[in-house]
Amino acid sequence: MSDHTSKRRKLSPSPENAAISSSTKQTSNVTEKRNPTRGKDERSAELAMASGFYKSSFFKLQMDELLEGLRPNYSKQVSKVQETLHQIKTAIEGLPETSPQSVPDAEKELRASGLVVPWPEPRPSKDVKYSMAYAKPANINVVGSFALKTGARTLESRPIDLAITMPSSLFQEKDYVNFRYFHKRAYYIACVAAGIQDTANTLGFDIKFGPQDGDSLRPHILLEPRQAESSGPTIRILTAIDPMLFPVTRTLPLKSNIRQASNNSEIGEPTSYYNASLRSDATVSLYHKSIYSASKKCSSFSDACILGRTWLQQRGFHTPFQNGGFGGFEWTVLLSLLFEGGGPAGQPVLLPSYSCYQIFKATIQFLAGRDLTTPLFFGQEVPVPSGVPVVFDGRRGLNILYKMTPWSYATLRHEAAVTLKMLNESREDNFDKVFILKVDEPALRFDRLISFPKSFNGDTLRALHEQNALYNVLSRALGDRVKLVSIVSRAVDSWSVKSKQPKRSSQGVSVGLLLNAENVGRIVDHGPAAEEKEESASFQAFWGEKSELRRFKDGSILESLVWSDESDTSIIYQILEYILQRHFKITTDEFAFVGDEYDELLKKHGDDILAYSSPAFQSIDDAFKDLERSIRSMDEVPLEVRHLAPASSLLRYTSLRPTGATDVVLQFESSSRWPDDFAAIQMTKVAFLLKIGDSLKSSGAASSCRVGLENESSKVINNAYLEIPHSSGVLFRLRIHHEREQTLLERNLKDRNLSPREREEAAYALFAYKKTFVQTPRLTQALRSLCTRFPLLSPTIRLTKQWFNSHLFTAQISDELIELLVIRTFTQPNPWECPSSVMTGFLRTLHSLSRWDWQQEPFIVDLGGDLTPQVTENIRTRFTAWRSIDPAMNSLAFFVASDIDTEGVTWTQYEMPSKVVAARTSSLAKAAVSLLRSKTHDMDVSELFDTSLAPYDFVIHLRPKLFSGSSAPKFKNLAEPRAGMMQTIKSFVCDVQACYSQSILLFHGDDRCAVITGLWNPQTLKSRPWNLKTAYSTAPGDTNGEVVINQTAILNEIARLGNGLIENIEVRAEE
Amino acid sequence: MKSESVQVEGYTTLPLQLPTTPLFPYPATHYLYLRPHEPRIPDPDSTRSLFLVNVPIDTTEAHLRHLFGTQLAAGRVERVQFEDVQTKKRAAATTTETNLTHSKKKRKRVTADDYERYLDDINLPSIWDRKLQKSGAHAVVIFADKPSMETSLKAASKASKRGTTIIWGDGLPTDRIPALGLNRYVAHERMQYPDRGALLRTVNEFMTTFTQVSEARKREDHKRLAVPDEDGFVTVSHGPKLNSVAREEEMRELVEKQKKKAEGLEDFYRFQSREKRKERQNQLLRRFDEDKKKLAEIKARKGKIRVSFSLSLVRLVFGSGADFLYSLNDLVHDSMAFWVSFFAGRIKGSRWCPMYM
Repeated sequence: MSDHTSKRRKLSPSPENAAISSSTKQTSNVTEKRNPTRGKDERSAELAMASGFYKSSFFKLQMDELLEGLRPNYSKQVSKVQETLHQIKTAIEGLPETSPQSVPDAEKELRASGLVVPWPEPRPSKDVKYSMAYAKPANINVVGSFALKTGARTLESRPIDLAITMPSSLFQEKDYVNFRYFHKRAYYIACVAAGIQDTANTLGFDIKFGPQDGDSLRPHILLEPRQAESSGPTIRILTAIDPMLFPVTRTLPLKSNIRQASNNSEIGEPTSYYNASLRSDATVSLYHKSIYSASKKCSSFSDACILGRTWLQQRGFHTPFQNGGFGGFEWTVLLSLLFEGGGPAGQPVLLPSYSCYQIFKATIQFLAGRDLTTPLFFGQEVPVPSGVPVVFDGRRGLNILYKMTPWSYATLRHEAAVTLKMLNESREDNFDKVFILKVDEPALRFDRLISFPKSFNGDTLRALHEQNALYNVLSRALGDRVKLVSIVSRAVDSWSVKSKQPKRSSQGVSVGLLLNAENVGRIVDHGPAAEEKEESASFQAFWGEKSELRRFKDGSILESLVWSDESDTSIIYQILEYILQRHFKITTDEFAFVGDEYDELLKKHGDDILAYSSPAFQSIDDAFKDLERSIRSMDEVPLEVRHLAPASSLLRYTSLRPTGATDVVLQFESSSRWPDDFAAIQMTKVAFLLKIGDSLKSSGAASSCRVGLENESSKVINNAYLEIPHSSGVLFRLRIHHEREQTLLERNLKDRNLSPREREEAAYALFAYKKTFVQTPRLTQALRSLCTRFPLLSPTIRLTKQWFNSHLFTAQISDELIELLVIRTFTQPNPWECPSSVMTGFLRTLHSLSRWDWQQEPFIVDLGGDLTPQVTENIRTRFTAWRSIDPAMNSLAFFVASDIDTEGVTWTQYEMPSKVVAARTSSLAKAAVSLLRSKTHDMDVSELFDTSLAPYDFVIHLRPKLFSGSSAPKFKNLAEPRAGMMQTIKSFVCDVQACYSQSILLFHGDDRCAVITGLWNPQTLKSRPWNLKTAYSTAPGDTNGEVVINQTAILNEIARLGNGLIENIEVRAEE
Repeated sequence: MKSESVQVEGYTTLPLQLPTTPLFPYPATHYLYLRPHEPRIPDPDSTRSLFLVNVPIDTTEAHLRHLFGTQLAAGRVERVQFEDVQTKKRAAATTTETNLTHSKKKRKRVTADDYERYLDDINLPSIWDRKLQKSGAHAVVIFADKPSMETSLKAASKASKRGTTIIWGDGLPTDRIPALGLNRYVAHERMQYPDRGALLRTVNEFMTTFTQVSEARKREDHKRLAVPDEDGFVTVSHGPKLNSVAREEEMRELVEKQKKKAEGLEDFYRFQSREKRKERQNQLLRRFDEDKKKLAEIKARKGKIRVSFSLSLVRLVFGSGADFLYSLNDLVHDSMAFWVSFFAGRIKGSRWCPMYM
C-alpha cells in the first residue's frame, strides 16, 4: 500500500470503531483488509458532503447499511440453484412435440396427465378453427431481476424468472385477435407444466399456475419449494415470443383487437390492456437487454433499483394492476429509459455518473413533477388513450405504465410528492420514513375505507373494467369532498395445475379515500344551471331522483343535491349509500365502511362535541375575553396588569368535555416592592387575590369570588388561587405569576447551605413553577393557533385523551403530554400528509407511540414552527444528559420536548408516567396497531378502547351512586349537586398514592370511570429483612427477623380512607 | 399466633386489630414496632421517648395517647413527633413561643430572630382536618417521664406476648378526631376556601411581623456596622439595600447588553471570517464522525438496518430482540413480565419484534 494509506491508518479513529465495522463482515484478518476500504469510505463520504451527493452524511451512512443488507448474494444463490435450473431446462428441452389438434382433443390429452389447461377468460369454444400444438422452445433463458442483479434481498417474493421463448411456427398471422394468442399460450404453458411435473417433484417443488403479474390473460408456472424452511427460491416459468412475431402497429394502445362481443366492452373499443399484455410477452428479451446495458453503463444502477423497489414496496406498489401496476420491474425499466431522455427537450433525466441516491431522488422528482397523463414518448409518437399515464417506449412498442390506472397513478404521484418533500427537508433526515416505515396500512393512510368483499374482483379484464366504472362513479359523486380515491384489490391466487383457474380473487376490493376536510361536511352540492341543458341532463342521469332543481339567493337556478347533517350517518356515507345502490345495485350490507365510528365515539364520550369551533368551547373563549377586559379595567389593584394568559385545556379546545375549572395566569408589571421571602410572596399573592376578588365583585364581573388554597405542604410552591365564577357559568381559577420566584428558587438550588431535602423541594418547586406559569400558558397559546390551523387537531386530541382515559391512565399521564403526542402527528406528518380525519390522526398517533423507542429517543414536537436543527440538537443533548444522570429512569421515563420547551421534562418528570406505565402505554399502543393490522376492515373501534381489569391485583369499585348524576348538567350556571366529585376521587387517589408510593401503583380513568385499580409493587411481595426504611406496612414474617408486606392491613386502611366513596374492594386471586 | 416473634431486630412488635369495615370485610392486623428512642444526637427528651415504626396511615396524636394511656393503661403521652414534620423547627418554635409573647409585653427590644420564629408560625389555614401518615412511617412518642415510657414498652410487650386484642382507635371518642372517608374530603373542599376575614387577618399579621423582622434586621445590621471593627474601622454603607434578587436581575441584563455589544464586530477582520470557515469545516467533519458513532450505536442496539422480510411488517429490527425490553427492569415496579403476559394474548405470536411497521 502507498504512503497515503499508512497515514490514514494512523488517523483512523479509536479501536472501538474498528470493532464495530469488523462486526459487519466476518473477515478473519480484519485490520489488514478493512483499512483501505474504510479510507475510501471516509473519502467518499467527505466528498459526498462537499458535493451534495447525498441528503446528509447520516442519511448516506444509513443508506449504505440498508443497501448492504438488501443486496442479494448472487454468487451464493447462483451456485445453489444452478443445478436445479439446468435440470428444469433439460426437462423442458426434452419434451416431445405434439401435432396440431383441436381444443377438446388438446384438453383431453392433458387431462390424461392430470392437468387442466389454464385458459384465460373467455375460454376458447369447442369449435374454434385454430388448433393447439406444442413445439420445442426457441430459447430458454433466465431473465429478470435475478439475472440482472437488480433485485433486493428482503422483498417478499424474489422468484427466479425462467423465460421460454415459444417458437414462432406455432402462431398464425392473425393470432393477436380475439385471445387466440393467449389460448395457444395457455396450452403451451400447460404442456410445459405437464412435461416437467415429475422433474419438479423430484427436485422438491410444488407445481402451480398463477397469473403473471396479476394478469389472468397470461398464466405462468410457479415452482414453489415444498418445504418453506428449505429457503430455496421460487421459480417462475414465463413465456416469451419473438419481438417480430406480431407487428408493433397491431398492438398500439388504441387498436382494437377483441372483435367478439363480451359483457365488458363493445366491439371496436380500444383494447389497450389486452394489446400491451400481448406486447409485453414480445418484449421480454428486449427489456432484458436494455436493462442489462443500463446496469453496465451506470455502476449505481442496481443499488438505485434496490432503493426504488424498497420505496415502492413500503407504499404497497407492485407490478400487478391490482396493486398499482408499478413495481420493481417498471421502476427498473423507467430508470433505463430515463437515462435516455424524459427531461425537458428530450434531455436525459439521469446521468450514468449519478450516485444511487441521486438516481433515486431524480426519479422521485420526475414522478412527482412530470404529469404523465400528458404522454411521454421515447421514439415515435403514437395515438394513446387519455386520462391514464403513458410512458411509451416506441422502440419496443409498449406503454410501460400500461398496468397503471388513473387512481393508482394519482396515488403514486401523491406518494412521490410526499417523499420528495421529505427528501428536501433539512430539519430531519427522514431516512426511516422514506425506506423503513411501511406506509401502506390503509387505516393509517386513508381517512375513510370502503370495502367490497364480493364485487369488482373478477378476471383481469373484467376487474379492470368494473373498477374503472367504480372509480368514475365514486370520484364524480364525491367530487371535491375527497382529494384522492384509491382502489386496491388482489389478483387471483396461484392455483393447482389440476384444477381450473378461479373465476374471482379470494379477496374483495378496498377503496381508500383521502378527504378534503374543508368540503367534506358540505350539505348542499350545486350542479349545473338549469339552462345548461346538456350538463343538466347528465347530472340528472347520474344522480337520478336525488337531484332537484333549486333556486338560490343570488337568483340562480341550479340542479342541486341536499344531504342531511341531522342524520345518524355522515354525508359521505349518505352519498355512498345512494350512489352505489343507484349505479351498482350494491346495498349497504354488501360493502363495509370504516372511519365514521371514530367521530361517533368522540361525540359519545365528548358531550356530542366534534369541532373546536363548537359553541361550548366558544362560550368559554368569550367568557375569558370578558374576564380579561374586567381584569384590565380594575382600578383598586395597585399594580398594572401586564398579561392575563389562558392556561387550561378548556381554553385550548382540547378538553374531552367542556367542564371543570378553567385556569388562567395573571402577570403584573414587575415591581421591586415584592418581598424576597417565599412565605411573604405567597402572603402577598393572597392579599392581591383578595383585592382582585373584591374588585371583580364590585365591578359586577363575578358574583362572588373566593380564594382557594393548595399545596399546603410547601411554602415555596404556589399556595393560593382565586376562584371566579363568571356570569356566563364558566368557573375560572386565577393564579398570580410572579417571575422573581424563579430567580429565588434557582438561587436556593445552588445554595450549599441548604439541606439536600430543601434543595430537592426547591427543584420540585421550580419544576412546578415552570409548568404552571411558563409552559402551560405557552402551550395553550400555541395550541390555540394550531387548532385553528388544523381543524382536526382538537377532536383528535380529545379522542386520544379518551383512549388514555379508558385505559385508566389519568393519574399517570398528563393531559399536556397527550396533546404533544398528537400535535406531532399533525405538524410532522411524514411519511403521510397531515391527517384529514379523526381516524387517521388518532391511529397515526397510536402508531407513532408504538414505534417510539422512548428509552433511547426523545420525542420532539414542532409547536411553533421554530424547530431548527440546532434546537433539535440542543434537545438531544439534554435528553442524553437526562439519561446519564437518571439511567434507571426513576424520575423520568418519557422525554418530550418541543421548540417552545426544549427542556423536555415539563410534563413527564416525577414519574408522570413512571417507567412501568410508560412501558404499558407503549405496549398498549403496539397491541392497538397490531389489532388494526390484523383486521383493517372489520375492526370494532370500541375494542381499542376496551380495557381489561384482569391484570390488576385489586380493583376498588366506587359507589355507583356517585355517578348517577354524572351526565353533563343542562345548565352550566346551576351548580351541580356534587360538582367536586371528580375532584374528590382525584384527591382520594392522590392520598392513597402518596401514602403507598412504594408499594402500590394506582390506575384510574376520568369522572365516568367507576373503578380504581391497583397493582402491588412486585418487589415488595418477597419477605425481606426488617429495615427502618421499609416504606410500607409490614407484618413479621415466618423467618425470624424478616417482614412481609401486610396487604390486608393496607387494604383495610384504604377502605377506611375511602369510606363513603367505595362500594367494595375486590382482590384478585393469585393464579 | 405469632407470639414467638415478639421481637424483630430489637423492636417490640405490637399487633393491632384494625377496625373492620364492610367495604373490605376481612379481619386485618397491623403491626407496630417500638423501642426506646435512641437518636444519634440525644436530646433531653429522648430518654423518655419511644420510637415507633410503621404507624397506621390514619394515626393522630390522639390515637397514640389513647393507645398508651387507655388501651395499654400505661404511660401518659406528652406529645408526638411525626416523621414528616421537621423536628428542629418545631422544637425551637415551642421553646420560644412563650418567650416571645412574654418579651413583647415586657421589653421593647425583640431580636429579629425572635420575630422570625414567630413568623414561622403564621400559616395560611390548613386545608385538611386530618392529615395522613405515609405507610410504614415512624413517629417519636414523648412521654411525661421516663417510667411512663418504660411501663408503656413493657405493657406493649406483654400485650403482644399474651395476644391481647387491641383494636386500633377503639373507644376513642368520635368527636375528638375528624372522621375519615367522604366526610374528610367534603371538609377538605370546604377548608380549601377559608373565610375571607380569616385569610385577611393571617395575611395582615404575617405582613406586619414580616416588616418588623426586616426593620429589626436592618437596625441590627446598622448597629453592627456602626461598631468599629478590631482595626478600628467603621464600615460605611450606602442607602437602603435593594433586595438582592432585583440586583441579580439587573446584573444579568447588564452582562447580556455587553455581550451583544461585543458581538457587533464579528466579521470585521479577514482572519475572523477565515477562522469561522475553518471552524465550520471542522464542525462538518466532527458531525460526520458523530453520525458514524450514532449509526454504530443504533446498530448495536437494534441490529442491522434493514427492511423486514414479512409481508406487511417492516422496520428497524432489534438485534437483541425482546430481551432488550425486559432487561431494564432492575428497579422498583418491576412488572414488565406481567405486562408481557397480559398482552401476549393480543399480540399473539408476534410479540415485540415484528410489531413495528
